[in-house]
Amino acid sequence: MRHRLRDPVTGLLFVLPVLVLFLIFRIFPTLGAAGMSLTDWNIGGEWSFVGADNYARLLDDTNFWTSLRVTLVYAAVYVPLTLLVALGTALLLNQVVFLRGLFRGMLFLPYVTSFVLAGIIWRWIYEFDGLINGLLAKADLGPVAFLEQSALVLPALAVVSVWKGFGYSMLILLAGLKSIPGSYLEAATVDGASPWQRFRRITLPLLKPTLFFVLVIETISAFQTFDTIYVMTGGGPARATYTLIYGIYEHGFRSFDFGYAATWGMVLFAIVLVVSLVQRRFLDRGNT
Amino acid sequence: MTLTASRPLSRAAGAARAGRPPVRWPLAALLAVLSLLTVSPFVAMVVVALSPAGRPTVPGRWPESLTLDNLTRVLSSTGFVSWTVNSLVYSVVSVVVILLTASMAGYAFAKKRFPGRDAMFWTFLATMMVPFQATLIPTFVLVNELGGVDTFWGLIVPTLANSQAVFLMRQFILGLPDELFDAAKVDGASELRVYWTIVVPLTRPVLATLGVFVFLWHWNDFLWPLIVGQSDTTRTLTVGLTTLRTEEMQLSTLMASATISVVPCLVVFFLLQRYLVNSIAMTGLK
Repeated sequence: MRHRLRDPVTGLLFVLPVLVLFLIFRIFPTLGAAGMSLTDWNIGGEWSFVGADNYARLLDDTNFWTSLRVTLVYAAVYVPLTLLVALGTALLLNQVVFLRGLFRGMLFLPYVTSFVLAGIIWRWIYEFDGLINGLLAKADLGPVAFLEQSALVLPALAVVSVWKGFGYSMLILLAGLKSIPGSYLEAATVDGASPWQRFRRITLPLLKPTLFFVLVIETISAFQTFDTIYVMTGGGPARATYTLIYGIYEHGFRSFDFGYAATWGMVLFAIVLVVSLVQRRFLDRGNT
Repeated sequence: MTLTASRPLSRAAGAARAGRPPVRWPLAALLAVLSLLTVSPFVAMVVVALSPAGRPTVPGRWPESLTLDNLTRVLSSTGFVSWTVNSLVYSVVSVVVILLTASMAGYAFAKKRFPGRDAMFWTFLATMMVPFQATLIPTFVLVNELGGVDTFWGLIVPTLANSQAVFLMRQFILGLPDELFDAAKVDGASELRVYWTIVVPLTRPVLATLGVFVFLWHWNDFLWPLIVGQSDTTRTLTVGLTTLRTEEMQLSTLMASATISVVPCLVVFFLLQRYLVNSIAMTGLK
């Protein structure tokens, strides 16, 4: 088109606001994060170049290894649980016609609220004189200290995030299920395949790309969990919920050790990058 | 899988053929139970918010009487009101600016040619892989150096560089036929006029969807407002809620605050549920 070739300036002018915002607030901080991790930047804005000292300190920091373990355990509980709940509810929504819109809305409702709200409600639900222990007391059980025991606190937090977030994956999986041609399942039914066989041999293989997408998205969000931890446990008890992001927050905004906090951020970046690259690798293979 | 034509039709397949799916009552009942379980924390929150103050609600028992006292008390506390106003400013300004800048950039990326266009676009996309939390420290230091801590611009401006929005707008505008824009150019319309009278009206459905998401992202946002909004002047509702501690105040007051904070989300949800649901399924926006 001629007019488009004639006028490169308008194109640039239309991009300019976004370009300026990106250069200043996305690209510069991304490069800055790498640069800062090589300095001892502090609250006063003074800094000197310290080379790889922060990374060496990281490797010697037991809190760092604790946070890595906590983050991985949390993801290992959260991701399968979310996928299971999201897939189960998506399958049910796909099968049941009765009041489907209402049920879908109810299941999706927590997704539009905030993690802070989820944390506030569930902190009370888990408390000694909270909802669950109140119900347990009626059955002469408990009380259970959900948020005060190292063994229970991570699964308890994972449940909160699952409750808050599964609606998103449920909708993605439901769209995936809807795209499976009904004739495949009908043919299998005619063939005498049991519901389990139909699920195992037809639905699941065809749903695999969607499941993989959801798996990657939920893994990344597991690594980014912060709000519920801040509200419900503050990283405790005894660092049992001290995740990578909590480490970034604490070093940055409790001890104002910006250089070292940026180093923690680089680890988070590396992990998310690896997960994203694995996703691309698999998706590319799936397309060929 | 092999088809054996001689096998008799099962009852379910027969019913499906007749065009009347069988009502699967056990599955429907299971779905109903799960749905009720999912909303029950909200119901519990509202019940406590409506209970008379003084921690009277034995958990698991319905309160003897309901009252609006907690809600009115929360709404008349100055802190809470200013947090709500701040959240509204944070969300609404972000929606307006992001819709405007992202649709302009999306139009240029989709329909204009200029030097460095593709390199720029892919760089924007690549920044999606950098989690915001990883750049939290340098972004804060930058805003701090520029004097933006505890100001509205410091709160809002860094969140306006949204690659998902630019990407979504570009993909949608790419699908619009070139002829529309060319015809307007032939008629002598200026570039701004083309943008305002053709691009904006044609992208209205995407703009609406994006607007809903940007609103929810900002209304529910926590980590950035937590570190930038350090006093009640700029503190948002999510951050304000975390400063309320149950030790110092009635549980019913806390739950009343929580209930009010969720109202905008519920309004968006009830008005635009179908919209939200479809756009998540189609675009994967999160």
